[in-house]
Amino acid sequence: MRLTQSIAPALLLLAAGVAQAASGWGFDDGSVQIAAKKAGEAVKEKISQTSPLSKPVSLGTTDTLKLSLTAKDNGKGKRPHQAFLVLQEPESGLEAPFPLTVKENGKAVAQISHKDLPVQLLLANKPLKASVVIASFGSAQGLNTPVFDVKIETDANVPPPAYEKPLRYGKQPEIHHIFRPDPKSPPKVISLFFGLAVIATLPALLIGWVALGGNVNHLSKAIGAALLSHATFFGSILAMEFVFFMYYTSWNLFQVLPVIAAVGAATVFSGTKALGEVQSRRLAGER
Amino acid sequence: MSADPLQALANAGQGKSTRSLLRVIILALIAAAAIASRLFSVIRFESIIHEFDPWFNFRATKYLVANGFYNFWDWFDDRTWHPLGRVTGGTLYPGLMVTSGVIYHALRALTIPVDIRNICVLLAPAFSGLTAIAAYLLTNEMTPSSSAGLLAALFMGIAPGYISRSVAGSYDNEAIAIFLLVFTFYLWIKALKQGSMLWGALCALFYGYMVASWGGYAFITCLLPLHAFVLICMGRYSTRLYVAYTTWYALGTLASMQIPFVGFLPVKTSEHMPALGIFGFLQLLAFLDYVRSAIPSRQFQTFLWLFAGGTFGVGLLGLVIATSAGIIAPWGGRFYSLWDTNYAKIHIPIIASVSEHQPTAWPAFFFDLNMLIWLFPVGVYLCFQELADEHVFIVVYALFGSYFAGVMVRLMLTLTPVVCVAAAIAVSTILDTYLSTKSPKPEESQAAEGSEGKKAGKSGLKAASKPVVGIYGLWGKSMMVSALAVYLLLFVLHCTWVTSNAYSSPSVVLASRLPDGSQHIIDDYREAYQWLRQNTREDAKIMSWWDYGYQIGGMADRPTLVDNNTWNNTHIATVGKAMSSSEEVSYPIMRQHEVDYVLVVFGGLLGYSGDDINKFLWMVRIAEGIWPDEVSERSFFTPRGEYRVDGEATETMKNSLMYKMSYYNYNNLFPPGQAVDRMRNARLPEVGPTLSTLEEAFTSENWIIRIYKVKDLDNIGRDHAAAAAFDRGTKKKKAIKKRGPRSLRVD
Amino acid sequence: MRSLFSFLAFLSAAVVSALSTSGNRLLVVLEDVAEKENYSKFLGDLEGRGFELSFENPKSESLALFHLGERTYDHIIFFPTKAKGLGPNLTPNILVDFMNAKGNVLVTLSSGVATPNSLVSLLSELDIQLPADRTGLVVDHFNYDASTAAETHDVLLLPPPGPVRPDVKNFFGAGAGKDEVLAFPRGVGAALGSSELLTPVLRAPRTAYSYNPKEQAEVVDDLFGAGEQLALVSAFQARNSARFTLVGSAEMLQDKWFDAEASKVGGKKAAKTFNREFAKRVSGWTFNEIGVLRVNWIEHHLDEAVAVNESNPSIYRIKNDVKYTISLSEYAWTSWAPLTLPADDVLQLEFSMLSPFHRLPLHLDAAHSSATESAYSTSFKLPDQHGIFNFKVNYKRPFLSNIEEKNTVSVRHMAHDEWPRSFVISGAWPWIAGIGVTVAGWLAFCALWMYSAPVGGKRVESKKTQ
Repeated sequence: MRLTQSIAPALLLLAAGVAQAASGWGFDDGSVQIAAKKAGEAVKEKISQTSPLSKPVSLGTTDTLKLSLTAKDNGKGKRPHQAFLVLQEPESGLEAPFPLTVKENGKAVAQISHKDLPVQLLLANKPLKASVVIASFGSAQGLNTPVFDVKIETDANVPPPAYEKPLRYGKQPEIHHIFRPDPKSPPKVISLFFGLAVIATLPALLIGWVALGGNVNHLSKAIGAALLSHATFFGSILAMEFVFFMYYTSWNLFQVLPVIAAVGAATVFSGTKALGEVQSRRLAGER
Repeated sequence: MSADPLQALANAGQGKSTRSLLRVIILALIAAAAIASRLFSVIRFESIIHEFDPWFNFRATKYLVANGFYNFWDWFDDRTWHPLGRVTGGTLYPGLMVTSGVIYHALRALTIPVDIRNICVLLAPAFSGLTAIAAYLLTNEMTPSSSAGLLAALFMGIAPGYISRSVAGSYDNEAIAIFLLVFTFYLWIKALKQGSMLWGALCALFYGYMVASWGGYAFITCLLPLHAFVLICMGRYSTRLYVAYTTWYALGTLASMQIPFVGFLPVKTSEHMPALGIFGFLQLLAFLDYVRSAIPSRQFQTFLWLFAGGTFGVGLLGLVIATSAGIIAPWGGRFYSLWDTNYAKIHIPIIASVSEHQPTAWPAFFFDLNMLIWLFPVGVYLCFQELADEHVFIVVYALFGSYFAGVMVRLMLTLTPVVCVAAAIAVSTILDTYLSTKSPKPEESQAAEGSEGKKAGKSGLKAASKPVVGIYGLWGKSMMVSALAVYLLLFVLHCTWVTSNAYSSPSVVLASRLPDGSQHIIDDYREAYQWLRQNTREDAKIMSWWDYGYQIGGMADRPTLVDNNTWNNTHIATVGKAMSSSEEVSYPIMRQHEVDYVLVVFGGLLGYSGDDINKFLWMVRIAEGIWPDEVSERSFFTPRGEYRVDGEATETMKNSLMYKMSYYNYNNLFPPGQAVDRMRNARLPEVGPTLSTLEEAFTSENWIIRIYKVKDLDNIGRDHAAAAAFDRGTKKKKAIKKRGPRSLRVD
Repeated sequence: MRSLFSFLAFLSAAVVSALSTSGNRLLVVLEDVAEKENYSKFLGDLEGRGFELSFENPKSESLALFHLGERTYDHIIFFPTKAKGLGPNLTPNILVDFMNAKGNVLVTLSSGVATPNSLVSLLSELDIQLPADRTGLVVDHFNYDASTAAETHDVLLLPPPGPVRPDVKNFFGAGAGKDEVLAFPRGVGAALGSSELLTPVLRAPRTAYSYNPKEQAEVVDDLFGAGEQLALVSAFQARNSARFTLVGSAEMLQDKWFDAEASKVGGKKAAKTFNREFAKRVSGWTFNEIGVLRVNWIEHHLDEAVAVNESNPSIYRIKNDVKYTISLSEYAWTSWAPLTLPADDVLQLEFSMLSPFHRLPLHLDAAHSSATESAYSTSFKLPDQHGIFNFKVNYKRPFLSNIEEKNTVSVRHMAHDEWPRSFVISGAWPWIAGIGVTVAGWLAFCALWMYSAPVGGKRVESKKTQ
């Protein structure tokens, strides 16, 4: 597209210069006419090779644009080899040529409607630039001049023609896709508060027990009766909690299982004895 | 066999130790028989893993043995569900593999090196021996008659309903799960009877093992609370029940939550809510019990009503809120399909497409259980007669088991144990009644009227006033006993026949009979999988319908797109769409999923019914469930509503990838115009389908497996149809467009 | 280590071939050996660049592009032939196979000579359309060489081509003198389809058009193409980077237009033609002497402070930090050089499963670059989704050989012991406290239950005895 953009002004300048010199091809009696299909009323505007129309003509979906002119070589009507109406989409610079039907005397006509337009031109946002190119073999200067703009009116009821941008190799938009956002924790203050609240239940529980008369007065009695069993039993309960703690922090299952088996066995064996002692106290009415 | 223990019992009636010794020997023999009858498949074929799911279990076990427990636990399997991968360690029930792994390592420690495959193949028979013993224990809890237990063990050992899932090579979760199911029930009854925390804890332990092994654990999770609930409703609440249930629930739930696949489900899904509800209910009852002992009865009445109403209201409200807020998952699709057999067909085709999820046909009951099916009600009736807590269990189990077995073929498996137990109770009662050589004297029977005990079988008419019951004639007794013996023998014959003929085929290898009667093995599956293994890149992705995913993974060792672990419906539907759409639609899907080969199963040449064309409608349905606009089941049926593959087939059908792959080049086997699909008895069109995006890579001997290679994008940018036409020599039509606008090239 | 290795590889590569990167066996298909003289400078240049030229008649029976499944030539040039068809060994299918086997083809046309059927159908497979009846002549009444085609206007004089797009390297027109022109005598214009593999190298000026001199001598009623839609020289690069170039005018490669002078209509002075350089570049591009990219090495590794930092592991974990580096070289006539990107272009890395999760620009990594290679790298955090992902560098640009590098890695989930510990998560503190309190409470309860003496022992006793 760069190429187009850089060449186009130069060519236009050149063409303009040629037209002014009037030492080559040109045209006369130029007119552009928009004919609607149903309503007979047609808008017709004169065009000249020196100055393009200031206002764009608009082409509706059912309209036909008719361009007619008389090509002249050095003022004389003559048939050129090349007589094109070129429509250009200004944004991309895409061009579509439409050859004019030319008679011997230079009278030339072209008719364009929506169905003749390439899809990129149909979907243009800005008015299309129409220019006329008239040239032929030999030494006569050709003519290439903008003549008018065409605004493509689209019908809101008709879906626009499908146009998928063709694949062109180039860089693509960047993607930074967060598949799943990280989990969030509530503010630390709240966690801390509730954590402390939970911890506070422990003293509350202990105080409650003490208030209801809980005590450990029989400890000496129990130890006196079965020191080893009680020590092992309570110790094994503690040990079990320690094993759980180790499992939580560092051990894996295969380290934990044998230890649990050992501790569990100790609990069971010492437990029968220790709890038997407790039972004996209960039976003796001391609990 | 069945006559043996009875005879022995009759002879060796004296002496307790002789009896127990006999019992042990008989049990051992029963276990041996149970194992032996499951070895048909190994003898007929070879020591091979069967069917579909077992291939995955086998593969997982190999991984476990090779990589150790923790690697297995954290296993990310990048060779299935390409490209999603599967967090296998977290989405399977590890019990089976860990069991095999432990056995493997134990045997190694004993310096008995056994190939892991053989352990896997023989695990199910070995556990079926244990199941027989567990059935013996369970039945012994029901009735004092020891013959009932032995009979139950025998029935359990050879009932086809159980054998169907536990022949050698059927290395599936059910292989060990049925043992665990029966044993857990035994422990539950034991705990309930004794009100013992120890038995309750053991029950929870085995429940945990069960959870680790099989998704069917939910059956226990629902049945035990139900039993407890029925007992409570019958006014049989007791501290024994409280102790047994709470111990089981608390420990069992904790145990089950250790399985990553289960995780928090026990506190989150509706299926587990009954157990939680009954747990709470029992706490209330215990509390009320305490309150009743503390306050006067009048006040207690009011208190009870207020309290019960309030709790119920709060509980219900909580449940509704939690469910609607999404904290508790609503009932899953599989659950609904248990109540409405059409539900799955309409809403979740992926569940309905599995043949073992179909409702059971009536003959299947007789086929799988033979005479047990008519002894079963008798046994249940006898349980009603006594109706202790454990008998209530049998009744509840029988009710639910039969319902579920009627809904889904595969739940026959959960029914079988209770049928065996109930039938054993019935048979033993009959035998005990008739095998007594003593003729009762009328006075005696009058005297014994109060106790009734042994002759429960004939004591149904309790209401009648003092009937003189008893069997007097030796003739009648022997008639009855011999008739029963014949039945038992027939049962054994039936079981053997069913096992050997129906349940021992590995389905990976097909057997057929040649005209001269000799057996001919059709080994197309392994031929094709071996081809894949030897001729494709190690990371070549194979697309096939999900049925073959595990086999490809296990036998061909190639990554697959979908497999029998149907966790991702969308991914399966994607494959279904690729199979059921035209090449132009399928190709981008296959490219996107990096498919290298497509595998289809085609039974047209051999008349093999389990092929993909027969399963095709399920693919269409599953795909339609996700893309109703792009795939429509209707367009695969002719205007007259027929599903055809011949010349009359619809255009959609003929253009579908599956059809093309199945029949590609098929008519070259026949004289022109004579191509016949022997499975569907259809004459195929003279011109076979053409494929442009795939090329045939392999077709097995009997054309059962056909493998296609997915072509790369055309090197010079044409679409495949054009490229294929060019290769065939068809000249490209010149783009003649006199009419219409010029097309502009944009750079 | 890697860079050393690649440097050695480069050295050996440089010694083996100092010309095309894909071999030097060049087949010239020419009808008349005498015609060779017209192209002596062009062919001499090729030979000078190290190609081994073999000349064959298109109808030749003995000509074979393949021997035992291997290519017998690396490149082919077609000069215009009068025959309507090429021989049995140059059918379009064989030519397509030749390209599929990474062979390069340069086709030249001429408006005076009808294009053979075989080439027309090959072109149409490549989505290039020639004028109907295989004849067409491009004229421009505004840009012609006044000295040789004052009347016929069929020698077009064009400025050397600019880049196709701003982000594409200009291989063919760069460095041309300001007043140098490209002569395009009596050529055929082609219409390109919208294929992404095609790129026009030289487009006709806006006022040029193509007509059939036999039928449309008087008036152009049915226009084949005009303006920039008419490609005079076009390039096609297949997916396997096999190259195909269509030069609309064989004459522009002839000696008489090399280093000649031309006078543009309306121009003040005669301009030098750029044709020789252009021919060198076009043939050089087609025969893999320029615009060839090479991936030297690819490396990805964990970008985390861990003890084991394996190179190119096959498995990562979700949310790992990963660094990816790719080293690329570009071949320019005689040697490998570091790849430099045009200002508007970037090298992108995709991390994709089914669709890209990340598409990130790769930045020049000077530490790993050298005189012959340039390394590009980027670091990023893997997505929080397990699966089988691809590191994908898909660098396809017009005129550069395709780079499509896919490195598959598995991204696994967190193992059970890789999650952040619960005491790190502040939200878990109340729960941990709960566990601690329960444990302590349980121990206290045990002690109390076993060792508590009754208070008001009588009441307890009386209750017991009830």
